[in-house]
Amino acid sequence: MAEAINRADTAASISESNTRAGTRNGRLWRVTAIARNAFREAVRDRVLYNLVLFVLLLTGASVFIGELSGGQERKVIVDLGLSAMLLFGVFIAIFVGVGLVYKEIERRTIYAVFSKPVGRGEFLVGKYFGLCVTLLLNVAVMGVGVSLALVYVKGGWDPLILTIWPAVLLIYMELMLLTSIALLFSSFSSPALSALLTFFVFIIGHFSADLKSLAGSLGSNSARWLFTGLYYLLPNLANYSFITPAAHGQAPSAGLVLLTALYSVVYITVILAAATLIFSRRNFK
Amino acid sequence: MSDLKQAQHDRMKTISLGLVVVVGIACAALLVRWIDTVRPPADPNAIDERLYLDGKTARRMSLGFNGLAADWYWMRSLQYVGRKIISVPEDVVIDDLHQLNLKLLAPLLDTATTLDPQFLDPYEYAAIVLPAVDVQEAIRITQKGIEANPNAWRLYHQLGYIYWQQQNYQAASETYGRGAQIPGAPSWMEAMKAKMSADGGSRATARELYMRMYEQSAEDQVRDMARRRLLQLDSLDQRDALRKLLNAYQARVGKCPSSWKELDHLFRAVGTPTDASSAPLDPTGAAYILKSGVCEVELNPKSEIIVK
Repeated sequence: MAEAINRADTAASISESNTRAGTRNGRLWRVTAIARNAFREAVRDRVLYNLVLFVLLLTGASVFIGELSGGQERKVIVDLGLSAMLLFGVFIAIFVGVGLVYKEIERRTIYAVFSKPVGRGEFLVGKYFGLCVTLLLNVAVMGVGVSLALVYVKGGWDPLILTIWPAVLLIYMELMLLTSIALLFSSFSSPALSALLTFFVFIIGHFSADLKSLAGSLGSNSARWLFTGLYYLLPNLANYSFITPAAHGQAPSAGLVLLTALYSVVYITVILAAATLIFSRRNFK
Repeated sequence: MSDLKQAQHDRMKTISLGLVVVVGIACAALLVRWIDTVRPPADPNAIDERLYLDGKTARRMSLGFNGLAADWYWMRSLQYVGRKIISVPEDVVIDDLHQLNLKLLAPLLDTATTLDPQFLDPYEYAAIVLPAVDVQEAIRITQKGIEANPNAWRLYHQLGYIYWQQQNYQAASETYGRGAQIPGAPSWMEAMKAKMSADGGSRATARELYMRMYEQSAEDQVRDMARRRLLQLDSLDQRDALRKLLNAYQARVGKCPSSWKELDHLFRAVGTPTDASSAPLDPTGAAYILKSGVCEVELNPKSEIIVK
């Protein structure tokens, strides 16, 4: 039933966008239609149900953590809330991200989509932005949840609320980057392998500082080049880690956030371009 | 008719399955209770099992969740000390827990502070609780905190406290002096530097130190410890005053009073609080005991005043 609705939604959205295909914004309309459909699909797949778990977690923490943390409940709530936001987001980005393309192929809806004048790149980018919107909604609701938990614990306005939002923004950028990587892997491999590879990138991305120090400590020139290359090639996810300072009331500088945003845009563009390149050569027959 | 039967059948099926769920959960809970009684008791030494990861490895493996991991190690430190305190029958103060064999406390606090070097509470806990267990580790962890947070004057206060406890008044004075230089440090840090240098071992210095600790700490256990130490100092002053009274009475009458009643008029004159039997009360409200044989005053065994 849901599949039929999805197919009807996609076809209707693309038909609507095709009427504008002759205009300058035709491509944008098609991408938007696919993104809207991907978002609807994620909502219908009950992806946002994780918010219920998140709310339960924060409510439990707000009520009980004071007993266990020795007066550090505000710090624990920020650490717990933002870490859960990142973890839940990573799971969504990986497990929903790897299925974005695969599900369309498995259901054969991709033939209906590509029978219309939709480019493969547009399809991928649309799917990507659809999941990004889902993640944005998820992260925004969770951010509000953490803020409310802080208000509850403090018994009023808490200045920490202002410092958590830049950290939330950085978490969202990290999730956007991870989604693009999941999409890249899913453009040429099975969902299970894509999920595994994306998870490895998430882990290695947080070890990038070690790659750099390892490169510096190695005697062999070739090994040093290899690890330095890996350091610059793999996404440096440590740049997005600002949960711990946020819990101490420290916000990242605007310059740092802008640079990190620029890094995300560049990296995501590269990854989506590579994914489009691979996906364009894929034969669905 | 067949629709009605079908509906009844469906309802029965729903009720049966619901019953299976409820009864099944109840049975599972009962089985867990049974297994708990049969299972051999947990190894009491398991609580002291060495940590698998040191702080640096834990930080590397935390994948950006280092703040949350630090919170977990911090709460584990509190639970570890709490469990040990509960396991002993006598009343203990958190700055004197040497008898509890807290060998895991230093690694736990070290890991928490390596995971989140800006987390100040574990440093304070290390400065208060660890000296009785491993003073070198207490100094090392607090110095590590100062290196990571050079603008946190409280850490200098805590390091100065450790040196003061070790009766190293010179090092304590220097530490308070360095802390006093930090912008935003309170003026009493400078005063404390002078006190440590001139009169480090005095009761007045101890009183000032515990008073500041009580005022500054956000940690309930630390505040309670400081409060109890202040009460102890008050009681020591009271006992000194009572001894003077007893000596003066003995010098005047030629013998020690047989009961506090004989000193009642003196207590009234100086406004000392007493109970119905005219026994003077300590700061916790327990009556002091008169040892008339040796003309000495003692704490009541029921008193909450710390002896050591």
